[in-house]
Amino acid sequence: MKKIRYYRLLVLLFVTAMIASGCQSESSSGEGDGSVEFDFWAAPNPSQQVFWEDMAKQYMKENENVKINVSPMPESPSSEAGIQSAIAAGNAPAISENISRGFAAQLAGSSAIVPMEEFEGYDELIQERKMEETIASWKFADDHQYVLPIYSNAMLFAWRTDILKELGFEEPPKTYAEVLAVGEKLKEQYPKKFLWSRADLVKPTWWARWFDFFMLYNGASEGNNFVEGNEFVANKEAGVQTLQLLKDLSEKDLLLTREATDPFETGQSIMMDIGPWTFSYWAEKFPEMKLGETYDLTMPPVPEGVDYENTKTFADTKGLSIYASASKEQQQAAFDFVKWVYSNPEHDLEWLKQTNLPPARDDLSTNETFTGYLDEHPELQEYANNIPNAVPPIDSEVTVEVQEVIGTEAVNPVVKGEKDPEQAWSDMTDAINKVLK
Amino acid sequence: MERSNARLGWLFASPYLIYSLIFFLFPLLWATYLAFTNWNLIAPDYEFVGIQNFIQAFFSESVRAAFFVTYKFLAMFVPIVVGGSLLLAVIINSLPKFKGLFSVAFFLPYLASGVASAIVVNGVLSYNSPFNIWLRDSFGLDIDWLGSSVLAPLIIALMMAWKFAGYYALLFVAGLESIPKDVYEAAEIDGAVGWKRFWHVTIPMLYPSFYTVTILAVGLMFGIFTEPYVLTGGGPDLATHTWQLEIYTQAFERLNAGYGTAIAVINSFVTFGSILVFRKILEKWGAKHGW
Repeated sequence: MKKIRYYRLLVLLFVTAMIASGCQSESSSGEGDGSVEFDFWAAPNPSQQVFWEDMAKQYMKENENVKINVSPMPESPSSEAGIQSAIAAGNAPAISENISRGFAAQLAGSSAIVPMEEFEGYDELIQERKMEETIASWKFADDHQYVLPIYSNAMLFAWRTDILKELGFEEPPKTYAEVLAVGEKLKEQYPKKFLWSRADLVKPTWWARWFDFFMLYNGASEGNNFVEGNEFVANKEAGVQTLQLLKDLSEKDLLLTREATDPFETGQSIMMDIGPWTFSYWAEKFPEMKLGETYDLTMPPVPEGVDYENTKTFADTKGLSIYASASKEQQQAAFDFVKWVYSNPEHDLEWLKQTNLPPARDDLSTNETFTGYLDEHPELQEYANNIPNAVPPIDSEVTVEVQEVIGTEAVNPVVKGEKDPEQAWSDMTDAINKVLK
Repeated sequence: MERSNARLGWLFASPYLIYSLIFFLFPLLWATYLAFTNWNLIAPDYEFVGIQNFIQAFFSESVRAAFFVTYKFLAMFVPIVVGGSLLLAVIINSLPKFKGLFSVAFFLPYLASGVASAIVVNGVLSYNSPFNIWLRDSFGLDIDWLGSSVLAPLIIALMMAWKFAGYYALLFVAGLESIPKDVYEAAEIDGAVGWKRFWHVTIPMLYPSFYTVTILAVGLMFGIFTEPYVLTGGGPDLATHTWQLEIYTQAFERLNAGYGTAIAVINSFVTFGSILVFRKILEKWGAKHGW
């Protein structure tokens, strides 16, 4: 009697296991009749989703044998985690956007994504989209291109020109010495104001380093790489100069390292790291912020002796990757769709209008398709001009650890006054080399 | 008859049993297995690494921080939330009207999104918030609320207490309402009124609710994620770095899923052990007083 009960329980367990394993969905492939169906994951951002849905609809009209299922990627607890979980569960799409270079390095390291240059029509796509220069810096350490950049925000600094004028400066500073001179004058006239308000300077948050350390370091080093594959190749002089600037600003009480609400907009600080996503927020909440009147946009300041005209900055940029778990047909179909989208600059213009994110093209500031729109939105012009001067994130599988170390060993202690720049750089170098081993 | 009853019992229990098997038992076994591997969540291949992950966790500064930070939160949160919810329950219970309305009102923070409330707190404590400007202008006090390793955990504990006090108060209100009136009448005849009545009658009679709330509050401290993630990122200097933050960082940011799972397994043992200890303490305390 008891045996029968146990057998029943075993059967129940078996059935449950079958149900559980059957829960995994499969990305549908071709039907064997030349048709192909694939999933496209858009970034969890309504405007981007609308754009891709529209593109997919147009493409499917022209290519009736292709079916594209566009959906937003899961973003709990983050879009990266959503993608990882999907890969682990065997539910990854054929293609997705929202892939940063660092995350792509992690995915590529596990053979989860495939090299783009191996697809038929890749060179043609790069030429058609006029992105030879922009994509050059995207090449990974193993000489492959795992991501096709969609947009590139050349991160800039905004300066409160109205306050600068009050202080007697006609234009924003270009060099570290000029920055410190502005700071000195600011404290003389407004002791309660700060030059730069950035709470992340004392936090180890890994991605925060893109918008402080890397903006300044890329400028100081003229775009010298930081890590290549498993090798630390940073320019020490530029790195120490960057940290010295942070130390000087901190010692002169020019940094506000506490959480603050809209400090730049309220005039509590006069410099701000800024991306184009800020402008829609300003239009809604701070209409008084006018380019050329209240603020100006500039590339990062540089140490003396560095050519400011050709200065570099950090590129906040993301792109498309094609997943290894998809079938060959799905991968090629996904690539063909992307090639079709980017073969027409009008599509990039549509993207720019819908998202405010500058398409990753070398000719954004010169191509007539975009010049009209950029004339109407001059705040985006500086971003467009500097796309070729923006350096994407490092392509290492240990990007997170490396950038955490930059915070914990260098940026955070220097700003807190716990280390001098030379010592901080040396400690950071040792720690990064350990991480890269 | 007995057999058909048993069948019926199994039938009714089966949805929960199947649910538990799919969403609890299998993941638990799978996670335990993963804890002994170096899988990164996405690679097709991984290796069995024995207890290496556990050894690494044992010597990890951030895991150690998570261990001690949890008890620090516990020491702050449990007294505040238990005391606060009890006070709230007594006040609600003594209301002549609208008990239900107030119970629901105090319960609302529990339903609020942790992210949303953390953002609000962040705004209130920001450098240029009206509150901080008033402190600076009136008293010359410039307090870095979230930058202090003493204040940051306290703020998170207070925030959690605000969120859960209404929920726990409901449990206390249920307990208060279940105390028979004749017990109070008997106590009154014996001369126990006011505070005396509260300490010697209400509190002992509330022991089951007190026990439940305390154990729930202790268990909660091992699962904190949203508030420190949004407010402090685990800082300053790991002062608010919790188990869940460590697991998330390792598994999803650094792609060390095997190692992250090992930490999760350690976390589950620590949680289980801690709750067991607290239960024993409460049971002994209750038995000592004859509750």
